[in-house]
Formats: sequence, C-alpha cells, structure tokens
Amino acid sequence: MLDRLQRNGSPASERNYQIAKWICFTIFLLLIAFAYVDVGTISIGSNNYNLSLIRLNKAIAYTIAILGLQVVIGYTGQIALGQSFFFGTGAYVSAWLIADHSWPFLLTLLIVIPSCFLIGMILGLPALRIRGLYLALLTFGLAAVFPSIVKLDKLYGYTGGAGGKLTSNYKFLAPSWLPFDEVAQALQKLPLLGDFFGDGPLSTREESRLWKFILFSILAALCFWLVHNLIHSRPGRAMRAIRDNETSAAVSGVNLAITKTLSFGVASALGGVGGAIYVAEIGIASPDDFSSLVAIYLIVGLVVGGVGTLPGAVIGGLIYALVPDWASSTQSISFVPERWLQGPTGSLILGILLIVLTLFLPGGIVMGWRRLKAMIRNNKSHLAIKNLDKA
Amino acid sequence: MAPLLLVESLKARYGPVQVLHGIDLNVFDKEIVVVLGANGAGKTTTLRSISGMVETDGRIEINGQSIKKLDPSEIVRRGVAHVPQGRGTFPELTVEENLKVGAFIRSDNDINIDIEACYQNYPVLYERRTQTAGSLSGGEQQMLAVSRALMSRPQLLLMDEPSLGLAPQIVEDLFTRFVTINEEHGTTMLIVEQNAQLALDIANRAYVLESGEITIEGQASELANDDAIRQAYLGA
Amino acid sequence: MTLSVRRIWGLNMDLFLQRVFDAITNGSTYALIAVAMVLIFKATTLINFAQGEQAILGAFAVLQLWYWGIPMWGAVILGMLFSAALAAGLERVFIRKFDPADHLPLVIITLGLFLVINAVAAIVWRFDPQSFPELFPSGNAFTYNNVRLSWYSIFAFGSCVLVLIVFQTLLTRTKTGLAFRAVSSNLESSRLSGIKVGPTLQFGWALAAAAGTLGASIYAANPVLQIEPSMMLRALIFSVTAAALGGLDSLWGALIGGLTIGFVQSVVVQYIPFIPNEMSLSAAVVVLLIVLTLRPSGVLGTKAVERV
Repeated sequence: MLDRLQRNGSPASERNYQIAKWICFTIFLLLIAFAYVDVGTISIGSNNYNLSLIRLNKAIAYTIAILGLQVVIGYTGQIALGQSFFFGTGAYVSAWLIADHSWPFLLTLLIVIPSCFLIGMILGLPALRIRGLYLALLTFGLAAVFPSIVKLDKLYGYTGGAGGKLTSNYKFLAPSWLPFDEVAQALQKLPLLGDFFGDGPLSTREESRLWKFILFSILAALCFWLVHNLIHSRPGRAMRAIRDNETSAAVSGVNLAITKTLSFGVASALGGVGGAIYVAEIGIASPDDFSSLVAIYLIVGLVVGGVGTLPGAVIGGLIYALVPDWASSTQSISFVPERWLQGPTGSLILGILLIVLTLFLPGGIVMGWRRLKAMIRNNKSHLAIKNLDKA
Repeated sequence: MAPLLLVESLKARYGPVQVLHGIDLNVFDKEIVVVLGANGAGKTTTLRSISGMVETDGRIEINGQSIKKLDPSEIVRRGVAHVPQGRGTFPELTVEENLKVGAFIRSDNDINIDIEACYQNYPVLYERRTQTAGSLSGGEQQMLAVSRALMSRPQLLLMDEPSLGLAPQIVEDLFTRFVTINEEHGTTMLIVEQNAQLALDIANRAYVLESGEITIEGQASELANDDAIRQAYLGA
Repeated sequence: MTLSVRRIWGLNMDLFLQRVFDAITNGSTYALIAVAMVLIFKATTLINFAQGEQAILGAFAVLQLWYWGIPMWGAVILGMLFSAALAAGLERVFIRKFDPADHLPLVIITLGLFLVINAVAAIVWRFDPQSFPELFPSGNAFTYNNVRLSWYSIFAFGSCVLVLIVFQTLLTRTKTGLAFRAVSSNLESSRLSGIKVGPTLQFGWALAAAAGTLGASIYAANPVLQIEPSMMLRALIFSVTAAALGGLDSLWGALIGGLTIGFVQSVVVQYIPFIPNEMSLSAAVVVLLIVLTLRPSGVLGTKAVERV
C-alpha cells in the first residue's frame, strides 16, 4: 500500500489513473468487437485461424467458470476439480427455461445463480470432512458423472437426452437504441484502420453477435467486481486464512463450515453463469460439452492464467477458447506428419502448458508478467540510483 | 587429537529466519557430549544440519572429511546415526522390521546378531517384536528409536531430546543405558537436551546454546556446578 | 409348489449368479488399477490422476508389440517393463521436485500428464476402437443352465490375486520392499536410516505402472470390449473408488474394494429399479462420497493421524 502511494502520488490521482485505464480498456474491447464481428481469420501458411466473436464469447463463458475456480481453489485452497458439473448445470437450467418456457436469457440467470449456489453449497458439505486429495478425487468423480446424468431417460423431457437441448428459439436482438450501425460506419471511415472493420452496415446476425459480446462482457465485469469485493471482505479474508493454514484459521475464529460452503456456493454459481453464457452463445446444451475433460481444461485455464489472481481467469478463458480450436485448425506444419495433426493436438498443448507452467512458473502468466514488470522497474530504479550517485 | 565431529561457524536458516549464527562445536571419539538449550535455541537445527537435513553454511567434518552437501542417506554411511525428536520409529512396521530398516546400509551377516543384542539390551522389545511400533508406549518407542539408530553401527550417535515426554523413571533407565552402550561399543554420542540434570550426569563435556549461538562450553561436571547453569537449566 | 428353486426371494438365481460372475470379472480389473494407485498413495500420499492413462498407454504398447509379431504374453511383459521405465522417468522429471505435502501442484501435474498421455495415445493410435488380442483361453470354463463362467473371468481374477501375492511378497520379503514401506511410514527417519527416498519412490511408480498396464491389458482383452484411448476414464473412476473403499493404503483392500465396486456395478445397480443401467458410474461416485464422508480412512485403511 505504502509503495503504491509513493509511486502514484495522492490517492485521488491514483483513482483517476485507474478510471482512465478502465475506460481505455473498454474502448479497446469495443474496437475488437467491431473489428471481429464478421468472421475474422488469420492465415499462417496454409492454416486459417478463426478469431470471430464466437470464440471470444466462449472465452467469456470459460473465464467466468474459471473465476469460480479462483474463488474455491485460488483463494480458499480447496482442490475442487468438478467445475464442469456446475458449468453444465447452469447451461442445462438456462437451456430448459429458454427452450421450454421461453424465458429471456437474462431472466434465466435469476434461477441459474441461486440453484447452482445451493447445489454447490450442498455438494460442498462433504468438503467439511473430506480434504485435500480426497476432495479432488470426489469432485473429479462428480465431473465424470455429469454427462450420464443428463443423458438419463427420466430427464429426457428436461435435457433432451444425448441429443442435447436446443435453445435456438431465443434470439439475441440488439436493442434498437444502440447505435451499432453508426459506430461501425464511422469506424470504417477511419483512415488506414478502416479496412479492419469490414464494410457496409451490420447484418442482424452481426448486430446480435455484437450485442451478445457486450452483454456477456458486462456480466463478466459484474462477476469480477463481485468476486473482487468478496475477497477483500471479511469472508474473503477468512477464505484466504483457510487456504494458508486451515488449523490456524479455525483457531483464530474463522468459521470453517460457513466459509467453505460459501466459497463452494460462489464458485458453483459462477460456474453456472459461465455455463448459461456458453449455451446462449452456441445455442445448444449437449452432454459431451460438459465432460470431465472440460473440468480439466478449466483447471488448465486456472493454472495457466495464474492460481489466485483475478486477471488470470481472463487469460485462462482465452487460452481454453482459442488453443484447442486453433490446434485443430492447424492442418499442416512442415516436418510434422499430417496424420498426427488430425489427433487431439489441442489437448496435448494444453497438457504441456499445464505441466510446464507448474514446473517453471507456478504463478501462471499473470505472476510471470508481474515479476517481469518488477524486474524492469528494479532495473530502472537501479539506473536512477546510479545516476544519483554520479550527480 | 583430531575430533571425530568438527563443526565450525555453522550457520543455518529457515527461509528468512536465521536460526544458527555460527556455531563451533566438536566431539572427540568415544565422548558423550551434551548440548543444552531452551526451546527454539537451535538445538534441533544443529543436529539436522549435521545429518544433512537442512542446508547450511560453514564447516562440518567427520574424521576430517567434509560431509556438507551430502544427502542424509550418504551421511549415515559415513557413520552418523540420528534419532530425531519424538518420532524416530516407523509406526506401521513391526519392531523387528524397524530394526532391519536401521540396518539398511549394512549388507554383512551380523545383522541378526545385532538384533539379538538389541533384544538383550531391551527385553521388552523382544516381547513386542511382532507388534507394530505404533502400538508401543512412549518409552518403548524411544528405546526402539535408539536401537534402530544403533543398528547402522554408527561411530557417532546424534540424539534429539531423548527424554521428551517420558516419565522420569524411564528417562533414568534410558540414560543409564546410554552410558552402557558408550562403554561397551565405544559409540560416541552427541545429545541435545533440556533435561540438564541427567544429561550433565552422563556427559563428558557440554555446550550451552542460546538463540543460535554457543554461550558456554566446558566439562560437564564444571557446568553442573556453574551457578548460571544451575539457575537457568537446573532450577536451583 | 411349482416355484422353481432357482427363484428365491423373487430373484432369478441364474441371472443373479451370472451377474456375480460379471462383478468378479470387472472387479478384478478395477482392482489391478486400484493396486497401482494404492502403491503410489501409500508411499507419497499422492493420487495419480494419470494412472489410468499410463495404463492404457502401456496396453497400446502391448498391442503394438503384438502387431510387430511378438507373442502376446511376451508383449505384455515388455509392455509392463516399458511403462515401468516410463513411470520411473516421469517420477524423476515431474514429481520428485515437489513437496509431497503440498497437494495442489502435484494434482495439477498428474492432470497435465493425464492430458498429454491421453493425447499422445490418441495421436498415435487414433480414437477408433481396435480389438485387442485374447490373453486367456476363450470359451467357458463352466456352464450350468444359463450361467456361464468364462475362462476370461477366472484368469482375470486369478491374475489379480497373483499380482497381489507377488507385490505382497515383494513388499514384505525384500529389502527394497522394506525400504518402500519405511518411506511410506516415516519419510524423515527413512532418510536418516540411509534409505535413498527418491529412487525408492521411483521404484513404487514403476511397480504401479507395471500393475496398471497389466490391468489395462486384461481389461482390454475382455472379449466384449475394444481398446481405445479414453476407455480408462470410466475405469479410473471405478478403480479410484475401489482404492478409496480399501482405504487407499491397503493392497488387499484394493482387491476387496474392486470386487465391491464390481458388485455394485453389475449386481446392485441391476436390482434397484430407480437406478438406470447407465448410472453405474454415478453409483460408484455415490459410494465414494459415502465412504469418504463416513470413513475417510476407508474400510480397511489405516487411520491417519493428523499432525499439526
């Protein structure tokens, strides 16, 4: 805290700086959205890599689910691997409400959040007795059974069985007061950069896609804000105390039962929101999209971004959404047999990333970045001191 | 005469906390040396440094050869056995298996003879030889831990508070036995203790460790009569 | 009274017996993977999430060797050696540097190994199911009415018991086995007794992988199954549950756990009307939940003493 004040002067200017930073970030996001609203691809060699908003929207869904993992693993230290279970639950509840009851997407969240929160708390109850590896085992099992639960004949009416539940009856129509077309055309007229923004007015589909991206981004921002406040609140401090040393946390008056179940509840609710967004984006909830492999991929996202860092969730979400997709788009690399590239190369890369980062950069990309920044800053201050010495 | 164990300006730290600030200490062949000190003075760390369990700065030599940077399993092979504090046994293994693990570094044919010798020293271990170590009483476990360490036929036996948590009667037995072992096998011993009375009784020489530094050293009998020691450690 | 003797308590005894035999068959293979997990857990209190994948990789190696013309059982033994060597390498490179008490990085590493091994197997051998050569004589050892006991079942169970006896002997009668048990009992005193902890644990990993490969080979040799890279995912859950039932640190517990899970899967689930067939995996997870909640140290496990 102290060094922060010294670096940036008064708290007021620190705050202005933060606000300016966030405004820049928002504008940047919107520019990206407009640039990639039509299917954008990058070509490297003979391979085409898709960069469309669909990928980014999926990334947002994963980001929110990983944010949940940050709460339960990163901040509470409970090794819960079953996030795909809640991701799926949220997805199916939302899909069911949209498809069978014609609810609008946002309204389904009002059911998704409390139901996932409750289920998470209930399933978190055993964690009061089960710890460490046993918990990891059990939650992994939970993730493994989800697809067979939704495939149950008895639930066919709700889940659509193995075929999945279509939600395409709900269209994300952008509100007409949003000046999408005007902005798009203004951007297209920009000198030099205009080309990046396509041409002509946006189609309804493009507008709907943009609207989804903005809506999901706002939801994600809300989630981040809530989690940020949670970890800096009293229960959040209790969570971190449990992570650092469960016994001493209990001895210093932290209520283990309440804090842990709260943490599981919040994590599951976030998983549910992520799942609802996922389904809203792809338009169908199908059982195999929520397998235990997904649970592991979400852990990859958590670790690669950085366990216990909020921005890590964003990086993790992007990596999950982009890496497997791009890996399967890579159909030719020199010296690599084509037959190999047809296999699950994405899974291979994610696995390698997981191992390499755990071995060499335990704080993930975010910590690596922070360390790099600190190194640069230290070098600068060394220089400054040297200059002072000379003077 | 060169000492069997030579420790010179030994420093050790746990993370940011410096525990030993440069200790000089030596133990000659066939001696019993005791290191006295309060909780947190660095007694355990001293022993763990010698047996290679913590990273250190300074010199540690056995018979004139440096054992620094060696793995604990290698240091045992240089003739140093260590009875760690409290839990020196393998609770899931039987008494006899514990002794066999103690002889792990040996491949000679005398192992069974040594096991018999242990049973003669401590008949109660013979009675319980097929029981698991975890089912023994505290005193029996300590006997087993010492026997386990002796099974490697060490030149130097390091003992970390062997009296901890034991009834006074048992401690006296245990310590008397140390003298016998020392006399019969010529095993050199370095014992760290809080129980100064008994330790000084059986020791030849003694060191006093305070906050990671040696503050007093001398003949055990002299220290037993030293007023400062008496006040601090003998409760007199 | 025309009621047949074979219908007791409303049960069709033939069907019941048949299912019990199925239970023993499945249970034995789960037990073999469970034994592998127990070996590693015993020594390091680590659950290796990649155990099933290591096993399937080994089974694919067996298949490949067989394609190359090596007789089946020779291929199995070579495959076991291969996966033992691989596991020893994995332990050295990825596991040893971590503090065994800090679970999260280790769980993550084994999940990473899971992904990598699974992907490698799928890249090399594809996801298409392939038939696995038979390891045991085909046909039935015994037929009575509609009840069949195949040679496969007998040999699967027999191999499981044999492996357990071999391991038990290895652990109790050899010096390395003693060292292994010492390390799992008291790490610090093991080092102070001159045991080289790293290589000892590596030995445990190798042994576990060999057992796993045998288990996966037997599993894949089941006449009704074909080998494919993700076949172990289900088996992993069953095996983990089996291991947990046995307390995670008892070899024979793993066998009993395996048989119990096989029984739950093939018998109990079939007779409870409101649990559909495909829910056997869920049933296993429920058993896991109950065991871990009510008796965290398993049914046969040693009670762990929590040290603060």
